Amino acid sequence: MLGNFQKAIIGSIQIHHQGFFQRPELSRTIADPDKVIANLEQAGIVNYSRRLETFGLAASDTTTQGVMLIGMDPQRESLVTELEKRIGIGRFLQSEDDYSLVVGATTASNLQVKLGDEIIIIGYDRYGAMVAESFTLVGVITSGEMGLDSGMAITNLSTLQEMVDLPEQITTIVISAEEKRIPSLVDELNQSLHEASLEIMPWYTMFPVMKEWVTLHNGFLYLFIGVVLFIVLAGEMNTMLLSMLERTREFGVLMAIGTTRYQVASMLLVEAILIGVIGIALGIILGYSIILVTSIIGIDLSILLGSTSRFYVDPLIYPHLQLDNLGITVGTILLASVLAGIYPAWRASLLQPVEAIRNG
Amino acid sequence: MLNQQAESVIKIRDLHKCYWVGTMPFPALYGINLEIESGEFAVLAGRSGSGKSTLLNIVGALESTDSGRVEVLSRDILSMNQDQRTHFRLHNIGFIFQAYNLIRVFSARENVAYVCQLQGKSKKESMEIANHWLQEVEIGHLGYRRPDQLSGGQQQRVAVARALASNPKLILADEPTANLDSMTGRHLIRLMRELNQRLGTTFLISSHDPDVKQAASRLIKLADGQIVEAWNDIPKPPSSITSSCPMSNLPLTERLQNYFKAARGNARNKKRRRKTRRRS
Repeated sequence: MLGNFQKAIIGSIQIHHQGFFQRPELSRTIADPDKVIANLEQAGIVNYSRRLETFGLAASDTTTQGVMLIGMDPQRESLVTELEKRIGIGRFLQSEDDYSLVVGATTASNLQVKLGDEIIIIGYDRYGAMVAESFTLVGVITSGEMGLDSGMAITNLSTLQEMVDLPEQITTIVISAEEKRIPSLVDELNQSLHEASLEIMPWYTMFPVMKEWVTLHNGFLYLFIGVVLFIVLAGEMNTMLLSMLERTREFGVLMAIGTTRYQVASMLLVEAILIGVIGIALGIILGYSIILVTSIIGIDLSILLGSTSRFYVDPLIYPHLQLDNLGITVGTILLASVLAGIYPAWRASLLQPVEAIRNG
Repeated sequence: MLNQQAESVIKIRDLHKCYWVGTMPFPALYGINLEIESGEFAVLAGRSGSGKSTLLNIVGALESTDSGRVEVLSRDILSMNQDQRTHFRLHNIGFIFQAYNLIRVFSARENVAYVCQLQGKSKKESMEIANHWLQEVEIGHLGYRRPDQLSGGQQQRVAVARALASNPKLILADEPTANLDSMTGRHLIRLMRELNQRLGTTFLISSHDPDVKQAASRLIKLADGQIVEAWNDIPKPPSSITSSCPMSNLPLTERLQNYFKAARGNARNKKRRRKTRRRS
């Protein structure tokens, strides 16, 4: 889910000129982008892309719509986002494209345009003078995300730089990084770029509501896992207790012929652990198969997401298996199995052979 | 005849045992004094509720007493804790139960081998011992079968093999023929008696089966928790324990007539012996 959110268009970290995120104006471009990029590469960051962002008015033959105009480097963009995969009609931008445009499905619908149609973009250049350019529609984003499908127009970085008269200038550098590495990377970049008057913003600073939503989601997830574990514990303990009660006579006989109570208790504990291990193995096989299939075809959560789709969360999620999560789950279920076996094992160890044989 | 020099396997002195249901006491054994010597084939006889099984359980270190002293193989079993009793049972006593009580998920061979493994023998050695004892009880070819694939008589033979596999000095059998038809029961008793004579293992059997009583070297009759009679060397009609069992080939009515004839003769013999004993 979080990966989806970052891969849509936001990225993990964005670097802007100080204050650009609050007031995105063309006067706030990054002063020396090459120096910033050199710093990134020095820090071992290779997945980055440059953008120029401004606002404009898109006009077709029949109507107009306000859009956020983004100039992207088509080659590097694939290193930080998966926009290309979200093109439903036509194609994504290519390096050699000149005044080509990609818009969201809602924008295309509002403007009543189709592939190959002309769209006029009206905006302001760096001096505040009005500029207008004609673009050709080459692709339509059909992601189902409100943020991408409406109010967004994407063109080549060089085209937009030419249109707004900002050659070689950019407003944003987008970085893709591992979730765990983001805080340390932000600190590192803040230290190395502190003189450049930049704002280095991780996704959770840009979209704190999304951060809260993820925290809440994780909280519910742990609660859900807790409930599942409780059910596993109760279910297995019930199974083990029933098994113990059903076999009371057998345990009585075993004790009568020389099995110690510790051996009887160990027998039940081993059985409980074996049930857990077999359950885990079957669960992993079943779960991995489901993940394998859904990681290819995706799971459509568009009905469930509602307002969250405003935050560039793709309703089509592609689950993947995280080994650390798997380890925690396996360990917890094993622990639950041991706990589920302790009480029946203790009860069995207290059996008196004669009574167990007589009443079992 | 019992060997006068034989050592005592079981020594019981003034044994009392009472069960409680709420505040109501139900005396089960009252002042039992008994001595069983090595190599005996002793049978505890008596009606249901006479205390046979309770006495057997106490001797088998499975149940506690209210008072008295019980020595089995010169060990005071009442002073042992539960773990010591378990260890003592494993190495010294074999059990045969009325309902066979074999482990359902084990094959016959595994059931027998289990006690050997408990004694610390390797799996291979245990299996070899199990094979040997299954052959001794004449079901060596059925070792791979699980209990539910065996008849009642076959299951009880497995139980006998299991009891013998730990090489015990004493075997306790609680109503071993009660769940078997008379012919199968007779075969089983013949087998147990043969093993007793050949191996010298002491058997203490609780039963009210006339065939078992016939096979006994010593009959101990219990009534209301007390020993009321005890005889040695019970006369045995050949038909009841002979290995060829000639009666099995006769028609049913003739078999029944022979049975009653033998039973009547047996009863008359007993009466005559009692009269002779009283006169002397």
